[in-house]
Amino acid sequence: MRSTRAIERALMAVAVSLVGAFGCNGALESPFAAAHPDDDTPRRGGTLHLASFADIATLDPPIASDMFTSSVLRLVYAGLVDFDANGNVAPDLASRVDESDDGLAYRFMLREGVRFHDGAELTAGDVKRSIERALAPTTPSPTAGFYESIEGFEAYTKGEAPHLEGVVVEGRYLVTIRLHERDSAFLPALAMAALRVTCPSAGDTYSPSWAACGAGPFRVPPGGWERGRTLTLVRNESYFRAGLPYLDAVTWQLNVVHGEDFKFARGELDVVRDLTQPETVRYQADERWKPFGALEKMHGMQGESMNTEIPPFDNVEVRRAVASAIDRDHIVMLKSSNLTALTKPVPPDLPGYDPQLEGQRYDHAAALQHMKNAGYAFDPATGRGGWPAPIVYDVAKQSMQEVTAQSMQQDLAKIGLRVELRMSSLSTLYSITHRRGKSQMSPQGWQEDFPDPSDFLDPLFSSKAINEEDSTNYAFYRSAPVDDALARARRERDPKTRARLYESAERTICDDAPWAFEFAYRFFQVHQPYVRNLHVHPVWTTDVIEVWLDRDRDRLARAEAPLVRRLFASLRGAL
Amino acid sequence: MRGGLRGGRAAKAGLAIVVALVAFAALGPLIAPHDAFTSDFVRGASPLRMPIGPSRYFWFGADRVYRDEFARLAVGARLSLAIGVLSTAIATAIGAAVGIVAGWFAARDGGRASWSIVDVVLMRAVDVGLAFPFLLLVMAIGAALDRTTATTVILVLGATGWLGTARVVRAKTMQVRSLDFIVAARALGRSTPGILWRHVLPNVSGVLAIVATLSVAQMILAESVLGYLGVGIGPPAPTWGRMLYEGQDYYLAGPWLVAAPAAAIVIAVLGFHLLGEGLRNALDARD
Repeated sequence: MRSTRAIERALMAVAVSLVGAFGCNGALESPFAAAHPDDDTPRRGGTLHLASFADIATLDPPIASDMFTSSVLRLVYAGLVDFDANGNVAPDLASRVDESDDGLAYRFMLREGVRFHDGAELTAGDVKRSIERALAPTTPSPTAGFYESIEGFEAYTKGEAPHLEGVVVEGRYLVTIRLHERDSAFLPALAMAALRVTCPSAGDTYSPSWAACGAGPFRVPPGGWERGRTLTLVRNESYFRAGLPYLDAVTWQLNVVHGEDFKFARGELDVVRDLTQPETVRYQADERWKPFGALEKMHGMQGESMNTEIPPFDNVEVRRAVASAIDRDHIVMLKSSNLTALTKPVPPDLPGYDPQLEGQRYDHAAALQHMKNAGYAFDPATGRGGWPAPIVYDVAKQSMQEVTAQSMQQDLAKIGLRVELRMSSLSTLYSITHRRGKSQMSPQGWQEDFPDPSDFLDPLFSSKAINEEDSTNYAFYRSAPVDDALARARRERDPKTRARLYESAERTICDDAPWAFEFAYRFFQVHQPYVRNLHVHPVWTTDVIEVWLDRDRDRLARAEAPLVRRLFASLRGAL
Repeated sequence: MRGGLRGGRAAKAGLAIVVALVAFAALGPLIAPHDAFTSDFVRGASPLRMPIGPSRYFWFGADRVYRDEFARLAVGARLSLAIGVLSTAIATAIGAAVGIVAGWFAARDGGRASWSIVDVVLMRAVDVGLAFPFLLLVMAIGAALDRTTATTVILVLGATGWLGTARVVRAKTMQVRSLDFIVAARALGRSTPGILWRHVLPNVSGVLAIVATLSVAQMILAESVLGYLGVGIGPPAPTWGRMLYEGQDYYLAGPWLVAAPAAAIVIAVLGFHLLGEGLRNALDARD
């Protein structure tokens, strides 16, 4: 009896607290002002507190595949080149980069006196060792294919050659990389995390137990990465760019799926970028916060991938019907602060984006006609016809795609395609959709590794990207004209010709519709005013090398969020 | 029993809530102005493209996919009640069978009977099962399932929710088996299954009714937890737990998206608890 009464009282308490919590309007907290807003002289010290909805995948550069991990690794490891504040490739460890006239060789003159985190000097030998370590057959690098134009790549990655022939040490501070064919995307790919230079302690082969060590502006202290919970980086006092970084440390709370806004309001976080749709709208609309919020570039795109080897999507007309049936404006409404309708593979902020190319478009009548052409005519009035079996759609539990899928599901029902959602964890979803013959349809996306159309088109639509187990061509799509255009564009040095080739590939892809492209997305980043010199980087998600803190009060003294106070007060009262 | 319910205001309130809930589940989807599964991207969205709040057009507002929250809540009531009742039926059937058999064969007064091993085995199995937190066990099974449907949720909840019932019924059976009419039936040569079915089961049915009523509340709560954690029935089915999860990002911008399913869960659980309590009081008074 007593336990039942306790349950009843607890239920009452929850009910009362709900009323209490929602009874008041939750206005945003005021920004915390900088101590010296008119003084732009950087100050050293302090810890910057960040959060991410995901964990990093690794601290070892060759294994990185997502942009968050790559952005963190870029702070730990220096590379021959990097992306500057405008997204252009710029020398980093190299003091000079020379390209040969035929475009088949790049010579890198290294800065002298650069020290790794462990104190060893960085030389050309370390560059060669790091590249060979990253591309070794035993290294499970998901991005190795970006470097296949390096001379001797095939023999080395197959284990037929002991060294990578195209990487030549010409002096203590001079290294040359030779290509077997011209590759316009080589330098941008080199700026990614994978080939960044690792300490001699990393050795010649990949080992999952190696302790992260590079020559970047921050180092990983012992125990700095608590998987799934926190990541801390501390300043590299011997960083080769004098005076940088300004921060003592950067910490991330990892896997923060909910409540980021609370933590930001309470002062536990200094910058947030994974806000929910309503929170994003509130910060964007609040005049006090407008100077401190910014939309990032559209680094990524998403759409519906249809497996071209599994019925009914082996029929191009069914795929075209899907591409025409999805109302992208509706899907974008579901997170309007972050999404923009997209009708083709390359997102708008990427160099090479062609605004003239219409791509796919919503046209319900055309979709019905495509279904008829496919032999599955559907009558919306009677609900008769269409594809007879349900289409199994694999989607990650509690993801954004789970929401957008429900809009897509309604659209496809109107043309006679019954979609059933099969929910799974993210890791299960990856294993299903990357494997041949396992998934009929799934939401897929691609996030920029480097700002070039090849970064999107090659892995997603080239037949070379089809693998039995680990395919990035999720639709298992093959097209000789697309393969040809992509290969020629990669070798092409003339920007106009290159753009035409990519446009031709995009046209074919949009028409063949292995994907129904839906939206490009970007994040909204907002920071406290005392976080100075923080800018949205066109490539990296987190660029804190030149960030400094200008705080004037103890963060711990901040008031609790009023909503939390109300909730506890009402709970106390009820019990 | 009726006398007991008449005497308890809380029990009456429980009965009223349950009746209202059943009526809402039965009639809600029929009287709702919109379909629970169809988005209205024009009238369901505010100029800022947020879901609109309660209005004449959308009584309980629109959800984040611009569907009618009222209609979804009503369909959710059908799902919750169906899952709660059917999983309880399974759990009660298993629990009753195990409890009666174990109670019948249990050793008397600390002595040892030849068949008492049946009781020992069954009750130790129950002990092992009870050692696992119920919701944790259900969540683990839910997470392991490839595709979760209403049927799988009912089976999972039913197959894991009988342990407490078995323990209570066993105790009652041990009480009943010593009564004179049971001894008489045995003396007259009735078979054990016959006695269990004809004499023991009817005499533990009162206890079963109480446990089952309370169990419905527990099952509704468990299903809501599964839905909230994303291991329940997949979208677009509007279970209350899933609605709660889907609405939580809008706790300030659209509090109705959290308040409506939360209130539904609270009211439903409260209703079945009060009713169960009323039944218990009535039976206690009768005994």
